[in-house]
Amino acid sequence: MVWRNLPYLAEGFAVTLETSALVILGGTALGLLLGIVRSGRVASLRHAAWLYIELIRGTPLLVVLFIVYFAVPPLIGHRFTAYEAAVIGFIAFIGAYIAEDVRSGLASVPRGQVEAGLANGLSPRQVLWLVVLPQAVRRMIPALFNQFVRLVKFTSVASAIGVTELTGATLAVNAREFKPLPLLIALALAYFVAGYGLSLVGRWLNRRYAIAG
Amino acid sequence: MSYQFDWGVLWRYREALAEGFALTLALSLLGLLGALALGIVAGTAGAGGRRAARGFAGTYVEVARNVPLLVHMYFWYLGLTALRLPAFWCGVLALAIYSGAYVAEIVRAGIQSVPQGQTAAALASGLSPRQALVHVIYPQALRIVAPSLAGLLSQLIKDSSLASVISVGELTFAAGAIEGETFRTFEAYIGVSLLYLVTVTAISQLTLRTLSGRAVDPEMRY
Repeated sequence: MVWRNLPYLAEGFAVTLETSALVILGGTALGLLLGIVRSGRVASLRHAAWLYIELIRGTPLLVVLFIVYFAVPPLIGHRFTAYEAAVIGFIAFIGAYIAEDVRSGLASVPRGQVEAGLANGLSPRQVLWLVVLPQAVRRMIPALFNQFVRLVKFTSVASAIGVTELTGATLAVNAREFKPLPLLIALALAYFVAGYGLSLVGRWLNRRYAIAG
Repeated sequence: MSYQFDWGVLWRYREALAEGFALTLALSLLGLLGALALGIVAGTAGAGGRRAARGFAGTYVEVARNVPLLVHMYFWYLGLTALRLPAFWCGVLALAIYSGAYVAEIVRAGIQSVPQGQTAAALASGLSPRQALVHVIYPQALRIVAPSLAGLLSQLIKDSSLASVISVGELTFAAGAIEGETFRTFEAYIGVSLLYLVTVTAISQLTLRTLSGRAVDPEMRY
């Protein structure tokens, strides 16, 4: 029975993977931006970033999605599709968490590196881009992949605003077939494989690129 | 902007919000109890000497953590229909099992960070292995990991919002209900998110102030 519905479920899985990929890219970009701002020199920007991060981290994911999908459109006069709202919401959400990891990653680069860069005549921006970031990113790999794995799990919440990703697709099939147990077990297995696979990729990357000590 | 704000709606529906909040707290606290019970058992097994026990604990942790919480909830609500559990208890079970995996890892790390000498000394003093565990290891381990466990309560409160999807009338569900009646989407959801934020921050501050001392890092959020 699961076999018969496989195309539909596979489509849902594809949506899940697609959403995850988009959000990983967007969220990492947002997280990097926020993290750098948070560690930066302009106080007002630092506080603004801090405020955003604290607000998002204190809010449940489902509520963030509801706000993006239901509450924001009346204000800006533009309606998002469920998928758009989900991607925006996830990026906004995970970006705040990644920002904190980025901040610790940046802080973990020895101060001597920054000083050496400046002493060699690099501008502060060049120091950040050419010296600190490459090292920081390599240290952040485990933390980042941790967030990525969390993200793959979180995409299931998009089903609550009607996105037909894997969970949504499974629920739809269940509504037709009424065989919840095998379907849910298959669903759990799919997420387990996706998450575990991603964490293995992270571990491989970490072995290859991490800085010793 | 053509949208007229009406924040009074939060006051007019304060009873519904209060009821929702009470359910959120109930879900979170019961979930925490369950998670602690499961997690301490699994964490101790994971840190122990027996390979089989470690294997079981490890499997539980990996499976429970990698499956999304929402799927956990649907599993109990839809999957095991033979049990016909009320939605609230499906939520509690899902939260307990999911968070229990995290507690297990925290407890395992805590137990493993207690110096080996403590166990040796306890056994040498004539305590049985169980007595050593309960009276010597646990107190030290729990003191080390207490801040992480407080962070867990905050996480649980936020995670409890997912129970609204299986129709538990907690805070997020209440927001939806208010929105359904008044169409005040923005006020309802922003109001509720502020409520979550205040609660989580309060717990964080409480943790920082009561668990004073070495284990607490002021930079961290709990």
